[in-house]
Amino acid sequence: MKKIQQIISEKPWMAYVFFSATVIVVFLIGLFGASVIERRSEAVQRFQIVKPIAEWEPRNEVWGENFPREFESYYKTSETTFASKYGGSADRDMLTQNPNLVVLWAGYAFSKDYNQGRGHFWAIKDIRKTLRTNAPQPATCWTCKSTDVPRLMKEMGVANFYKKGWNDLGEQVVNVIGCQDCHDPQSMNLRITRPALIEAFKDQGKDISKASHQEMRSLVCAQCHVEYYFKGKTEKYLTFPWQNGFTVEAMEKYYDEVEHVDFVHALSKTPILKAQHPDYEVAQFGIHVERGVACADCHMPYKSEGGVKFTDHHIQSPLNNVSRSCQVCHRESEVTLIKNVNDRQDKITEMQLTAENVLVKAHLEAKTAWDKGAVEEEMKSVLKLIRQAQWRWDYVAASHGGSFHAPVECARVLGSSIQKAQEARIELSKILTKLGVHTPITMPDISTKEKAQKFIGLDMLKLKADKQVFISTDVPVWDKKAAERQSKMK
Amino acid sequence: MNLLKKTIKVFAPPPNWRVYVFTTLGVLFGLLLVVFRISNASSYLSDDPVVCMNCHVMTPQFATWQKSSHARVATCNDCHVPQDNFVRKYLFKARDGMRHATIFTLRLEPEVIHIKDAGAGVVQENCIRCHYQFINTSSLVSVTKKQSEHDNGKLCWECHRETPHGRVNSLSSFPFARVPQLTPVMPEWLDKFIQSETKKLK
Repeated sequence: MKKIQQIISEKPWMAYVFFSATVIVVFLIGLFGASVIERRSEAVQRFQIVKPIAEWEPRNEVWGENFPREFESYYKTSETTFASKYGGSADRDMLTQNPNLVVLWAGYAFSKDYNQGRGHFWAIKDIRKTLRTNAPQPATCWTCKSTDVPRLMKEMGVANFYKKGWNDLGEQVVNVIGCQDCHDPQSMNLRITRPALIEAFKDQGKDISKASHQEMRSLVCAQCHVEYYFKGKTEKYLTFPWQNGFTVEAMEKYYDEVEHVDFVHALSKTPILKAQHPDYEVAQFGIHVERGVACADCHMPYKSEGGVKFTDHHIQSPLNNVSRSCQVCHRESEVTLIKNVNDRQDKITEMQLTAENVLVKAHLEAKTAWDKGAVEEEMKSVLKLIRQAQWRWDYVAASHGGSFHAPVECARVLGSSIQKAQEARIELSKILTKLGVHTPITMPDISTKEKAQKFIGLDMLKLKADKQVFISTDVPVWDKKAAERQSKMK
Repeated sequence: MNLLKKTIKVFAPPPNWRVYVFTTLGVLFGLLLVVFRISNASSYLSDDPVVCMNCHVMTPQFATWQKSSHARVATCNDCHVPQDNFVRKYLFKARDGMRHATIFTLRLEPEVIHIKDAGAGVVQENCIRCHYQFINTSSLVSVTKKQSEHDNGKLCWECHRETPHGRVNSLSSFPFARVPQLTPVMPEWLDKFIQSETKKLK
């Protein structure tokens, strides 16, 4: 074979052939590169918003103009027709259903009014309506109710937001839980908008920005569906007690260390810890989370409508949607699957009711002991046991769906609750005997909500009348001011 | 060694051309590197499902997989690439990849992507590979794509039609699916700089 130099020196035009060939190759590679870049930018542009959404836009309807399917399905959280055996979105008066609760929360606003949480759509209406907000509450209570919250926190600073009074922000907080709470308005990526969760991660030495998409599909829920307390007498800084972990003992250790007391029990004088709703925490001990299932997998499954598939934003009980939640993985019939859920919940509920009965007795016996002249010194260990028992019971009772999410953990916790409450009663019987009282004490009639509330000394008629005044005078003013303010928003 | 020397001799440019020729070759090689980088080429050696999102026409497949029960246990490659031996796996990947790259570059991708025969054969193999112990009728364990063509047994998904991608699969069916985006080609500071420049222009 001849050398290229030789070819060229023999036929000079061959130089042009080599030159052109190189030009063509470089040109094609360049074209290919340009095409790759172009197609990459297509991927970014694939997602286009017709009507751009402003940062911190609170109005769900404005977001909905771009995402009609997601918005319409989200709007179905207004439905209150579905009640499962223990949950669902129907109106359900928990105190009527279980009057023992009134006694367990004597001295705390929950004894006045406690209803099953309805869908997100009702967040604002329900917090305005509940008798618990009759007494002055901090603005911290708004934190999880509205898309207006991140906007306000940005404007006034997080700590200042918490310090405000609940009534002060009534005209500012009007849009219910929605799009803004979980989504970035530009990219629609999931994002955390509530500082408490980010801070709780930091407390545990974790960085929430490292969370995967699948984790985010639970973490956006964990902004609110968690155990929390308001730190500081005046600061009322929303804080999650996660430093030591998610178990009932770990959180109790945290609360004991900071000497937190939610309320002093009106009958037994126990410094009580009230559990909020450790839904996310309890779920961590369940098999579904251990297998990597996210909240959204069951509570917001994929859905197809005509030729389009999208995430169902009707956040609800999966029991109302078995075919798209459970049956994606489990090939059993709907009847069987619902039975499997109910079986677990039945058993945990049975234990829960046992714990409640024992706890009610312990509170009443402690009251008798105080009435008969027991002194603080001898009651100290009893009150500690009641505090521990009630915290354990409440950790399970307050956790929505916990009896299904993690039945084994719930059983363990309730077991120790019953044991501690009974231990308290053994101590109490010694004290009572010493004071000349012979157990069993006579139990008051607390068979209905009304009787129980009367027993603990609540003036329900006044509470309801006060609420009515608030609803008919303050609320319309809030709504009017909010409408005026929002009409000026672009 | 001799052969190498000979080849070099044949292609070696005359001394007074060398600078120009090597510069040109450098440009050519550099361009190839650029293409390698922007097309995320090295990622194709892995099994990470995010790799399939290098090209955005796979959005429906990724989104449906991610929301299915298979997402917990199986990646794209677990089903769509032969898993019986290393050589066959990478040969298949290379052939499949070349076809995908060509079609994508020439913009020939269809609105609804359907599996090709070779791919279907592999998926059938992989269904059986994992679900072997659940297939009670022993005759079903040996069903292959070929056999099904001769009406000798059915493919798994002829009955299990929703598994795992569902039956809605067109490109426009997933307008807002949240799928991973490619990381920017440019270094972060340059990306930020360009974004600030475009903002100034606006």
